[in-house]
Amino acid sequence: MKRRLVGFTGSLVLAAGAAAAVWRSVPPDQPSARDLAAQLVCPACQGETVAQSASPMAAAMRATIAQQLATGHTGQQIRQYFVDRYGAGILADPAAGGLGAVLWVVPVLVLAALAVLVWRSRRRPADPGPLAATGPARTWRRAWDVLAVAVVALVAAVAVASPREPGGPAAATAADPTVITLAVGRSLEEQGRYAEAADVYRDALDQQPDDRLRRRLAFALLRAGRLVEAEAVAARVLDDDPGDPDALLLLGLAQRASGSPKAAATLRRFLRQAPDHPAAAEVRRLLGDR
Amino acid sequence: MTGAVGNVALGVGLVAAVASALAWLRVALIGADARPARIATWTLLVAAAAGCGVLEWALLTHDFSVRYVAENGGRDVPTYFTVTSLWAALDGSLLLWLLILAGCAVLLGRQRVDADADELRPWALSVVGVVAVFFFALTYFAANPFATVVPTPADGPGPNPLLREHPAMGLHPPLLYAGYIALVVPFGYGLAALLTGRADRIRDAAVRRWTLGAWSLLTAGITLGAWWSYAVLGWGGYWAWDPVENASLLPWLTATALLHTLVAGRATPALRTWSVCLACVSFLLVLVGTFLTRSGAVASVHAFTASPLGPMLLGFVLLAVAVVVGLVAYRAGAPGGPTTSPLLSRESVLTGNAVLLVTVASIVLTGTLFPLLARAVRGEQLAVGPDYYARSAVPVGLVVLLLMGLARTLRPGRPADLSAVRLPALVGLATALVVGMTSRPGVLPLLAFGLGAFVLTGLFTRGPAAGGRDRRAGWLLAHAGLAIVAIGVAASAAYTVSSERQLRIGDTVRAGGVTARLDSVDGPGTPGTTGARVTLTLGGHASGTSHPRLRYYPARDLTVSVPAIRSRPTGDVYITVLAVGDDGTTTVRLAVNPLVGLIWLGGALIAAGGLLTIVRRSRAGRPEDVRPDRVGAGSTA
Amino acid sequence: MRRRLAALIAATAVVAALAVLLGYGIRTGQPDAARAAGPVTELRSAPAPPLTGTTLDGRSFDLTRLRGQVVLVNVWASWCDPCRQELPALAAAQRRWSGRGFAVVALGVRDTTESARRLLTDLGVTGLTTVTDPHGTTAVAWGTRGVPETFLVDRQGVVRVWARGAVDTAWLQRRVTPLLAS
Repeated sequence: MKRRLVGFTGSLVLAAGAAAAVWRSVPPDQPSARDLAAQLVCPACQGETVAQSASPMAAAMRATIAQQLATGHTGQQIRQYFVDRYGAGILADPAAGGLGAVLWVVPVLVLAALAVLVWRSRRRPADPGPLAATGPARTWRRAWDVLAVAVVALVAAVAVASPREPGGPAAATAADPTVITLAVGRSLEEQGRYAEAADVYRDALDQQPDDRLRRRLAFALLRAGRLVEAEAVAARVLDDDPGDPDALLLLGLAQRASGSPKAAATLRRFLRQAPDHPAAAEVRRLLGDR
Repeated sequence: MTGAVGNVALGVGLVAAVASALAWLRVALIGADARPARIATWTLLVAAAAGCGVLEWALLTHDFSVRYVAENGGRDVPTYFTVTSLWAALDGSLLLWLLILAGCAVLLGRQRVDADADELRPWALSVVGVVAVFFFALTYFAANPFATVVPTPADGPGPNPLLREHPAMGLHPPLLYAGYIALVVPFGYGLAALLTGRADRIRDAAVRRWTLGAWSLLTAGITLGAWWSYAVLGWGGYWAWDPVENASLLPWLTATALLHTLVAGRATPALRTWSVCLACVSFLLVLVGTFLTRSGAVASVHAFTASPLGPMLLGFVLLAVAVVVGLVAYRAGAPGGPTTSPLLSRESVLTGNAVLLVTVASIVLTGTLFPLLARAVRGEQLAVGPDYYARSAVPVGLVVLLLMGLARTLRPGRPADLSAVRLPALVGLATALVVGMTSRPGVLPLLAFGLGAFVLTGLFTRGPAAGGRDRRAGWLLAHAGLAIVAIGVAASAAYTVSSERQLRIGDTVRAGGVTARLDSVDGPGTPGTTGARVTLTLGGHASGTSHPRLRYYPARDLTVSVPAIRSRPTGDVYITVLAVGDDGTTTVRLAVNPLVGLIWLGGALIAAGGLLTIVRRSRAGRPEDVRPDRVGAGSTA
Repeated sequence: MRRRLAALIAATAVVAALAVLLGYGIRTGQPDAARAAGPVTELRSAPAPPLTGTTLDGRSFDLTRLRGQVVLVNVWASWCDPCRQELPALAAAQRRWSGRGFAVVALGVRDTTESARRLLTDLGVTGLTTVTDPHGTTAVAWGTRGVPETFLVDRQGVVRVWARGAVDTAWLQRRVTPLLAS
């Protein structure tokens, strides 16, 4: 009896202590900078929160949060600060009201429905045995076999007849070899390996002439300092389309770099063709125009 | 040339898939000889293996005339990552998917002595065949990796750089796919039961073995994925409730529920309907998840880029959902049975756990689909972040943990013996008391600590019941693993400290008793890798240098911040370089993540537990099928 | 029978709802395709947030002192590639319209003075007032989502236009001249 009492009191004390510990753990009103950052979506990324993202804008937002916490703003004020500037979409969690209620209503409905089902299945008496599977008669067998072979043959015929080589509907965009060559060449250009990029473009051009490739080739040659070749390639594009602004620009720049007197005339032609081109301002500066 | 061989393999596979679906249906309907069907299934496997082999060969020999190689291969990629490029992009991963699917079909359809006893098996194989037809058609017509590229490029951009940073990439996707696809077998059985209306003929043992296998692989895949995310993405966490991660968690949750209803269903026929529905839902969630992550419908860090597969996948998902929902509605109220078990019995606790797991799944699914809903209804981009899941899914998960702790007190058909939980409950309360008084981890982590201690003590206090020792080992491992994961998650959520500063050489940053000094920065501005050397001081003692890197991949215009992780028994020191300025100022983030190691350990234990149960089960032979009551006693909750 | 019918109707509804939702997802879910060339531009009407700080040449700056002028605030950084394209255009606009009460303020986000200065020298851009924002907090106060971003503030100190992405001469012509005229 006495042991029981001691045990009971002990458990009671433990339970009370644990409850106190839980009570103590209720988070303070002031959330930490990390908590707040986790409640915001990084506007420059795809589905990452500000706390996770390594992007500079996310870092700037973390700095803002830290600054505002240091000046005594509350979590609510800081959240509002971001909502004012970026809209409700900046919050990682939609507000509980309105559409956000769906997030809570649906799971509760699911739980309720499941609970009802369980409760009913506890009560319901056994049903009579379910329908027996009925197999078709033996005479079906031959018909079934013929039909099955026909279906298999049909599928095989479709598989053989369907276009699979380039030009197939799905492959058309993804497998455009020029696109791949351009991607490879661009990656080389980005590493500053212009001469190699030029070789890649030239190889591809040998097999398939394409003015997109020629423009990149002229650019790569220009950057690699192979000016004569660059001029020739740009001129080749202009043969196809005399008004092509990119080719005019490349030709003009190549001529200018090699000190050709025709450079100014070519660049002015470029400016007439494309006064709003991103490089137009720069070209005007080169020509000394205002 | 290589491409042509691959195309032939895929074509043969497509035809074999159609043939196997029809042949198994013939066996199911007419009871004919299964040999032709088995041959068709084997052909399926050979074709899929040939497809994978050819693509792997093309990757290894840098045959850039093959589209997939031109898009994902590269001459400067190390051999290991060239091999893993097979699943680095959508089209190649579909081939792997096909290989595993065909493997499952062969394994399920193989000759067995007791084959006749398993009436639903031909039906299930037929369902697997239909799924194979769809995925072969998808690969062959819409995402054919073998299309020829003319002219042949000289080099390719290489696989997505994120997939090149960690050896786990060799294992994570195949494990995850295997887990996803093995769920097709329980789905096949479930659909077979619905089609024939004979839920009572389901062979629990077969379904359970497949579910256990799929579930173990899924667990391993998810754990590896979390580890990869932690060790490569450099944001310091392992789980971001990202749609792709959620897509892998959803079938895991319902498969876990399925395992429990299968156990409880032995004594309670009413629960058979539950098992059938859960088996179907698990694979449907696999399909929905595949659709969400492969069609670009939801924004995610690791979703594949948009592809033309979206509409086709959507069509198949909807067809599958419609068939299942329609059949369930049609058969509603068919099999049932009286339940005589008391309220706090093994059956009701198991059912309760299943209900809660399905609720968690519904929370996760709602959260994942919500951004789509917001876009459709309001035209607004609204996000659902970790906070929502922490407030909804985590509390329900804690209740699951509580019910799990009762497992040991339960015996089939008898009321719970609550005296057995007295000691575990006291240990749990004491843990909460001590942890809560010495630190302030927050309410949910504190509850997780208490419940984790409660479960672990409960598992190991009473010796295994007589006779069940064999099968208990796996069961114990899996449940202990889950409790350990819970503790690891709670600890890393509650006690992680981090600090972020712009440093010049010689400056230091401090967090959680660790000091890191920036010693040198190598190669700023050069393309490729920019690394920083950082000297660490832990509690006053120098403890070596770490080398976090910032790696730029020009071909994909992507920067990856690879962390340097130093693991200690108490936790990890985690250093990342966020940015390197032209003048050498380096933004460094230093974090101390306590006990994250427990998460990987727990995940491994769960997976090992599941696999152990299968191994023991098949070694024990089959008599258990005849004596369901005995098996039930062995593996509870 | 009635129950079965109800169940079938409910099932159809579930499938249809899922179809609509997911179908909508793939139709609208590809942001890359929607991203057209040129900057995304939005008209706004809100008072300009404070913009104070130190310029690259070490002087202190306050936006309110420019009240009465049309001010273009451009958020940029040396680590941002498209910014290189637009800075020469901005400098040209400043030269062209400075007589009509137009000023360009460049806000350098999370940059060091040296690298910002080096980029401007490399591009040959001179005469831009560049305010440094080493932590990026001023950019956040302006609601910047990424770089480059451009704000046009009218003579009353109200933000009128916001653009994300690199702007060019044509854009400037179209957006700045109406404000200069008012």
